[in-house]
Amino acid sequence: MKLAGLKSIENAHDESVWAATWVPATTSRPALLLTGSLDETVKLWKPDELHLERTNTGHCLGVVAVAAHPSGIIAASASLDSFVRVFDVDTNASIATLEAPPSEVWQMQFDPKGTTLAVAGGGSASVKLWDTATWKLIASLSVPRPEGPKPSDKNSSKKFVLSVSWSPDGRRLACGSMDGTISVFDVARAKFLHHLEGHFMPVRSLVYSPIDPRVLFSASDDAHVHMYDAEGKSMITAMSGHAGWVLSVDASPDGSAIATGSSDRTVRLWDLNMRAAVQTMSNHADQVWGVAFRPPGGTGVRAGRLASVSDDKSISLYDYS
Amino acid sequence: MASVYIPVQNSEEEVRVALDQLPRDASDILDILKAEQAPLDLWLIIAREYFKQGKLEQFRQILEEGSSHEIDEYYADVRYERIAILNALGAYYSYLGKIETKQREKEEYFIQATKYYNKASRIDMHEPSTWVGKGQLLLAKGELEQASNAFKIVLEGDRDNVSALLGQACVEYNRGHYSDSLASYKRALQVYPNCPGAVRLGMGHCYYKMGHTKKAWQAFERVLQLDPENVEALVALAILDLQTNEAAGIRRGVEKMQKAFEIYPYCAMALNYLANHFFFTGQHFLVEQLTETALAVTNHGPTKSHSYYNLARSYHSKGDYETASRYYWASVKEINKPSDFVFPYYGLGQVQLKLGDIKNALSNFEKVLEVYPDNCETLKVLGHIYVQLGQTEKSLELLRKATKIDPRDAQAFLDLGELLISSDTGAALDAFKTAYGLLKKGGQQVPIEVLNNIGVIYFEREELTLALETFKEALGDGIWRAFLDGQAKTYAVDAAASIFQYKDVQLFHRLQEDSFVVELPWDKVTPLFNLARLLEQMHSTETASVLYRLILFKYPDYVDAYLRLAAIAKARNNLQLSIELVNEALKVNDKCPNALSMLGDLELKNDEWVKAKETFRAASEATDGKDSYAILALGNWNYFAAIRNEKRNPKLEATHLEKAKELYTRVLVQHTANLYAANGAGVVLAEKGHFDVSKDLFTQVQEAASGSIFVQMPDVWINLAHVYFAQGNFALAVKMYQNCLRKFYNNTDSQILLYLARTHYEAEQWQECKKTLLRAIHLAPSNYILRFDAGVAMQKFSASTLQKTKRTVDEVRSTVDELENAVRLFSQLSASSNLQFHGFDEKKINTHVEYCKHLLEAAKVHREAAEREEQQNRQRQEVARQMALAEEARRKAEEQRKFQLERRKQEDELKRVRQQEEHFERVKEQWKSSTPGSKRRDRSEMDDDEGANSEKRRRKGGKKRRKEKSSKSHYEMEETEADMMDDQEELEDEDVNVNDGEHRNQRNDHDENENAEENAQELLAAAGLEDSDAEDEAKPAPATSRRRRAWSESDDEEVLERKPQSSPVQENSTELQESDGEIREDVDKQHGDAVVDDED
Repeated sequence: MKLAGLKSIENAHDESVWAATWVPATTSRPALLLTGSLDETVKLWKPDELHLERTNTGHCLGVVAVAAHPSGIIAASASLDSFVRVFDVDTNASIATLEAPPSEVWQMQFDPKGTTLAVAGGGSASVKLWDTATWKLIASLSVPRPEGPKPSDKNSSKKFVLSVSWSPDGRRLACGSMDGTISVFDVARAKFLHHLEGHFMPVRSLVYSPIDPRVLFSASDDAHVHMYDAEGKSMITAMSGHAGWVLSVDASPDGSAIATGSSDRTVRLWDLNMRAAVQTMSNHADQVWGVAFRPPGGTGVRAGRLASVSDDKSISLYDYS
Repeated sequence: MASVYIPVQNSEEEVRVALDQLPRDASDILDILKAEQAPLDLWLIIAREYFKQGKLEQFRQILEEGSSHEIDEYYADVRYERIAILNALGAYYSYLGKIETKQREKEEYFIQATKYYNKASRIDMHEPSTWVGKGQLLLAKGELEQASNAFKIVLEGDRDNVSALLGQACVEYNRGHYSDSLASYKRALQVYPNCPGAVRLGMGHCYYKMGHTKKAWQAFERVLQLDPENVEALVALAILDLQTNEAAGIRRGVEKMQKAFEIYPYCAMALNYLANHFFFTGQHFLVEQLTETALAVTNHGPTKSHSYYNLARSYHSKGDYETASRYYWASVKEINKPSDFVFPYYGLGQVQLKLGDIKNALSNFEKVLEVYPDNCETLKVLGHIYVQLGQTEKSLELLRKATKIDPRDAQAFLDLGELLISSDTGAALDAFKTAYGLLKKGGQQVPIEVLNNIGVIYFEREELTLALETFKEALGDGIWRAFLDGQAKTYAVDAAASIFQYKDVQLFHRLQEDSFVVELPWDKVTPLFNLARLLEQMHSTETASVLYRLILFKYPDYVDAYLRLAAIAKARNNLQLSIELVNEALKVNDKCPNALSMLGDLELKNDEWVKAKETFRAASEATDGKDSYAILALGNWNYFAAIRNEKRNPKLEATHLEKAKELYTRVLVQHTANLYAANGAGVVLAEKGHFDVSKDLFTQVQEAASGSIFVQMPDVWINLAHVYFAQGNFALAVKMYQNCLRKFYNNTDSQILLYLARTHYEAEQWQECKKTLLRAIHLAPSNYILRFDAGVAMQKFSASTLQKTKRTVDEVRSTVDELENAVRLFSQLSASSNLQFHGFDEKKINTHVEYCKHLLEAAKVHREAAEREEQQNRQRQEVARQMALAEEARRKAEEQRKFQLERRKQEDELKRVRQQEEHFERVKEQWKSSTPGSKRRDRSEMDDDEGANSEKRRRKGGKKRRKEKSSKSHYEMEETEADMMDDQEELEDEDVNVNDGEHRNQRNDHDENENAEENAQELLAAAGLEDSDAEDEAKPAPATSRRRRAWSESDDEEVLERKPQSSPVQENSTELQESDGEIREDVDKQHGDAVVDDED
């Protein structure tokens, strides 16, 4: 289990790169890397040379999140101005522009079947679900506010939702908030199930294990990565090692490792059997805002790939084996 | 059988007296001698015989009778015999005096002896034997010079006088002139080869003293041959044997000593040596008996000293320091010069050290060092003493010398290392490493404390992996290995319960059930704690937490472990747990100042101000006001309070500030190098407007704070940046903020980004300002104030762009974009305001929205205008291009004309020229008509506006600054409010600008009037209010206040970080343990202080 640097592009964007995801391969082309930046552009890169395929403009303020449909045909990008732009990956034709004021937009993810787009709604303390056929808002999953005599503004801002993740079976949705709590929803019934506690600082990234729909990984500003049994409400383990905020977490397709990106400028690879960091990449010069494993599939693409993006404007590609 | 014959007076008869049958009562003989008027030599012979038989009383009786007055008269002409009797008596009393131990009797005897010798001298001044006797007497009295004179008188008369020669030899020997002494002995031997063994004994001693051991040996052997029972020769030989330092030699020596002891049980020398031997074999009872006997039988100073020393040593080794000290003292008192016999000084020093009498111990060891300047042990001991007396320099010097003299003395290196820890860690590390190497080479176990110390130094020097290895080596095998290697997996716990994982010790019970051995020896607690601390530093927080819990599982009173766990919980923002852990610590020790300080800090974080203050007070009281941290915390508290209450009560603010200053100063007085106190003082000074002083302070603190892993002081960077900002040095401020962000916060602190944005804003770098704010929003998404600020920045950017005299269409277009964004941001805020996310007034936001929309429309007009202008420009360019084309064409035509000139001549020439002129005219006409005259006027008008606006901006600056004293968020709002008002005015201007074409001049005048009025009002207002300059300077206040708070968080980490530093110090090396402990503690204190200093 190791990472080997393949390619790095300095100044891939004009400004900090804040988001990255892989667009799955289609019959006509391999998987592409999709990145979003403070420079208000979204770019598509072709591995392994990280050849710039296209630059999408049209966002105002920084691009904070990107998401790709499992089919690989469409993708979404979201910016600080709270618009979500849905577009055709190959043509860049706009398909829809989504907004649900006053809710802002933070992380997004398509469900594994591709029928729903979940968007973390920030201060609205909810996750917005959009139908990918009609692009209509179908549900708003609200995080219950803590009970108390008077819900002061202090408390409510703590339930600010930052991150979302679908379970691999599509039945559960988890979201992470500024105050560190993670909320788990039953999607089918649009019902809040329970909180997962343990973090007390913002949870900026969540990912379910691709092989076990119960296992959820969370990345938090408290420099820890937690591994939860999201159904059993229990924490399996807490992993420490980063020297700063953990900004991003992704699980390898084989489910045996996770990668994290941190404000300490490193990318770490964690062996889930050992529950310890086995490798630290320090090629970035600033916060690493995103790490993403390439999903399997596509013609003749077996090799594992990990991409990382950073505030230093660069993007990096690694071989994962 | 020998007998003497006493002639019977007046007859030929003689009385035969068998010498071995002398009557018990000497009076019988005396009667005969007197009656028969026997010659005096017979008296002497009989007396001598009594002496030989040990009948001293009779001997004395006869001689005294023989020297009585009657005899003198009767035998007046028998001079020699009378002298001989007197001399015999003198010698007898000399001997008595010599062996007498009581001083008074001794004197008495000597007086007697002197009396007899003087009497003998009166009979014959020149009798050599009298002089020899006198010499011996003087020798016995220790008056060497006079003794020598006496012997010389004899030798002048007869240079072969054996007795005088021997006496002279003795004098020379005592004077230390061994070769002279030897010469005299030799001469005596030559003159009288059959002289008794004693002569050879003297020679032996001379040889011995001169270092000719072999010759000495031979001499003593010869004595023994002559007199097998000669105790002195036996003892001397035994000493020689003992000094061979070989087992066989020592055995022989002891045998000889024993023999000597059997022959004569009262030889002090032999007794001492035997005692010495038994001391080493551990038979203390014998030692005491022997030495006590020795003491009883001798009066010889050095020998007594030796005896006392033996006794003292015996008690010393038994641990009876009081008695030992008394005997050492007695021993020392018998010594004239320390160089004669230095051991008791050493022993006395050791015992005094034990009894805590450092000063005297010091002087004793100093004496030893004088005699043996290169003695490592003494050097080391003195080193320790100087540490205790606080003379570190001296101590270092001694220990360095010790290590230089014996570079293989691991202990010396260890001592040196421990001493250096507090002053020079690098050198300390070297010393420890050398010791480590020596111990390893010697196959010895390296003490855990040493490894611990080495580890801590590595830790301090940020060589973390080396530190890790060292701590692991110190700890060896144990349950911790399992955690370090990740073998023992944590058990899944309920997520809700996991909040309290840091208190959880269930893990260890489970491990025990799973047949792990959960043990932690006491001597490994400190290294384990340090290891955990190191793991924290290396961000392996989870493992560190398990190790701390392991310590607590076994040693529930280990307060520091609780505090570290609390610190970890606090770092993860789990305040509730942190407080609980601190309370656990307080359960163990409710006066623990560190725990109290931390509790206060947590309470402050929880916004429990009054409680926090109480807690800090308690912490301060728990240390009698000596704990700088608590005082500093109180200072900070007052500072916060000052900032907080400012709006409500200016008087209170001043009081709080004063109080804060006083507290900081108090700390500074106690610890002049306290960084945090200096920082605090700097803040208060800045608050009062003394920027130059505060800048100096901050700069110095910043310099001092860099370079230690345990001191993290981002605050001072920020404060410095604030000062630069306040002084208008924006470029430096920006640089300072950025460095601070990168160095301490991984670029993640949105608050500093806000400061940075504010600086950009002031410097009118709108794009940087906006980008910075967007980054801040990205980092702190739920901080809506940042969004608001971003909106304001964009609005301001747009407004300023529109005011620019020269602007490109692109600029105007981006202005429009920015305005649209601003509108969107403000509308979003407005829409979400009903959700109470933030404390903005909805109305105010709406005003912003309205204004931005307004501006937007204006901007759109501008854009159109600009686009129009651009189009016109393009047209103009087009014309120019055409002109150029025409020119080109003309040139070409010219050429052609020339070319054709030859062929076509002049016929067509006129026609073509006319045509061209016509064309040219047309072009000119076109160009003239397309130049719009209005443009210029437009522009000049803009200039006017620009002037007015800039004036306004200035005013606005003043207004803004006044508001900035409030807390940051507050201030942000106020500022924007101010901004908005100004912008509204600008808005009007803009309107005028754009729309009023016709009434331009009028409006302008009006505008100016208006401005003037406003100016006046502003001035009045300013005058009515406080000194605006002072307010200006107070600017960094809110920022610093927040910093201070952040800083106090980092603080108690510092407090805790004091632990690992002090821990090496807690552990001590082997020798002189108790006293060491004290030394260490002192160092610890100093160290602690140093750390505290760093804190401040």
